[in-house]
Amino acid sequence: MIFLGIDIGSLSCDAVLIDEEKNILASSVILTGAKNIESIARAKKNVLDAAGIMEKDIRSIIATGYGRARVKEKDAAVTEITCHAKGIKHVIPETRILIDIGGQDSKAMLLDPDGNVVDFAMNDKCAAGTGRFLEAMARALEVDITELGDLDKGATSDLVLSSMCTVFAESEVISLIACGTEQKEIAKGLNRSIAARTHSLVKRVAGNIDGLTVSMSGGVARNKGVVKAIAQSMNLEKINTPETPDIIGALGAAIIGFEKIHR
Amino acid sequence: MMYDHFDNAVKGITDKLNQDPEGINARKKYVLELSRLGKKLYSKDENIAWCGVTAPFDLLGSMGVTSCFVEFVGAMLSSTQTADYFFEEAEDSGFATDSCAYHRAVMGAVLKNAMPRPDFIIGTSSPCTAGLAVMENFAHQYKKDFFLLNVPQNYTQDAIKYLSAQLEEMVRFVSDHTKRPLSKQKLGIALENFNASSQLLKEIYDLAKTKPSPVDNNILKDFGTVITLLMGTQEGVDICQAFKDELNHRIKTSFNHASKEKIRLMWIQNRIQYPFPINEMLDDLGAVIVVDELNDVTWEPMDPDKPFESIAKRMISIPFSMDASERIKHLQDLAVAYRIDGAINPCHWGCRQGTGIRGLISKGFKDINVPVLNLEIDCVDSRNLAKGQIETRVEAFLEMLS
Repeated sequence: MIFLGIDIGSLSCDAVLIDEEKNILASSVILTGAKNIESIARAKKNVLDAAGIMEKDIRSIIATGYGRARVKEKDAAVTEITCHAKGIKHVIPETRILIDIGGQDSKAMLLDPDGNVVDFAMNDKCAAGTGRFLEAMARALEVDITELGDLDKGATSDLVLSSMCTVFAESEVISLIACGTEQKEIAKGLNRSIAARTHSLVKRVAGNIDGLTVSMSGGVARNKGVVKAIAQSMNLEKINTPETPDIIGALGAAIIGFEKIHR
Repeated sequence: MMYDHFDNAVKGITDKLNQDPEGINARKKYVLELSRLGKKLYSKDENIAWCGVTAPFDLLGSMGVTSCFVEFVGAMLSSTQTADYFFEEAEDSGFATDSCAYHRAVMGAVLKNAMPRPDFIIGTSSPCTAGLAVMENFAHQYKKDFFLLNVPQNYTQDAIKYLSAQLEEMVRFVSDHTKRPLSKQKLGIALENFNASSQLLKEIYDLAKTKPSPVDNNILKDFGTVITLLMGTQEGVDICQAFKDELNHRIKTSFNHASKEKIRLMWIQNRIQYPFPINEMLDDLGAVIVVDELNDVTWEPMDPDKPFESIAKRMISIPFSMDASERIKHLQDLAVAYRIDGAINPCHWGCRQGTGIRGLISKGFKDINVPVLNLEIDCVDSRNLAKGQIETRVEAFLEMLS
């Protein structure tokens, strides 16, 4: 039996196929774009083609992410919080604190030793500190979003962006550029700002993180600069990141489908 | 416009009730009575007082004054989706867009001359000073006299005496404006009704505590906050009786909702007022709000021989009047009594009750191992709603509890 998880987020649409042993057969990450129904179909086709599997062989489809209700063929919709927790438990089982920064949400979750969510906190009213935020900042810095992760290399200043509203932060970045501040210093400032905000979310779910393994999922976990800044802010040597952090939600969804059939 | 709205509501609900004369229909009867109150407020034939939430509506009623708290209008404008026009008016006059929308809607209505013209205003320092400021503004706008009841935060003998004296002074203030003295007989009847309503409320809440609960996500929504407007009247007693009958009927007939109850929830403060399918979301996931924070009787019976002292005790005993530690203790007691699995704290934008003690409330529930979901939501101004984000938070919370 084959199980499909689809995570349709605001920025990316991810799909994962797993088999009876919970092995990942194929995964796909594409931009959601303006037409999410088409993105869902494309992500699904990508994983079916890559794994050489027919649609009729799929036993269960679980949808997650903001567009979860839009996945017509789903067997169930589950929130990304539950799915990310399930997915990280599969790849980094010792995780007790999970940080997931996605396209328009950042979340901190406290997990019990079995990987169940015990508490969670999400960003408040705006998208500050999320993937959308980084996208806007990359635009202001005139770099590709994939370059942001290494952009702070060699930065030495203690610059922190004072405003964390995406719109105001973008203006602040533009002002810093106008003042001649180096790109790497601005990038470091951005990372520190995101780290402070993320650390605050973690504190809301766990006052004391001593001895708890901290992991990070979601597309922003690919940004080494942000991950490093969060680790520094939390006084950690490192934060664990899966090899493919952006598919953890879809992986968790697929595993939930597997568990629903096998329980 | 508003008079017509309430008049149409009265006619429509009366027709529906007449079509089902044998039915209990507690919620319909309740909404009918509130619509009648709305109609009276807008009729221009009554002595009208706009008040704070904790004002003594039974005492005012016994003096021939039709009274209501201003937030009732904010909620009503929101629930009928007519509030945006008034928000914009208030904002255009300088009100901050992230101030409490109950009061922003009221201020807009005042500025648009859409609030019934009061004869006077009775402000209360509890539950919130933002409401108080709006009422002062209201009094200024209509050039009406303003009387403040300063409700102490601690339940002490000195505090009770202090508030009793203010209530006596308030009666003189009201008499001066209405040219009618307080009738001890009428006050006695009002207090008798209040006591009968209180006793029925206790029985209603005891029924709601049963597991599975006979309540659904709507029937007792914001009930404790609003029923105080009617408790000094025979109609209030009748409505409480109808709710009790309905819950008993549901228990006897194995109300089918009860079998679906998987998660028992508490709703802190007030519900979301504009149409938003949160009840449907909760229903789908087998979650039932078995208790709202103010659905409780925290006062002793009113003593007709000591009316001011009794009313003062009651006003101070309302959890919103008390300091944070007492309010949290009350929440913890409710959590245990109702055997809840989790609590939702909507943290209404711009509200000190909602956001001011959020961390303390979370800690209070953590101490008794009850998870809390803090929502960042404007319960009145739907323009500030991030629907997808709220849905995800609520669903994730329910997934966590289940």
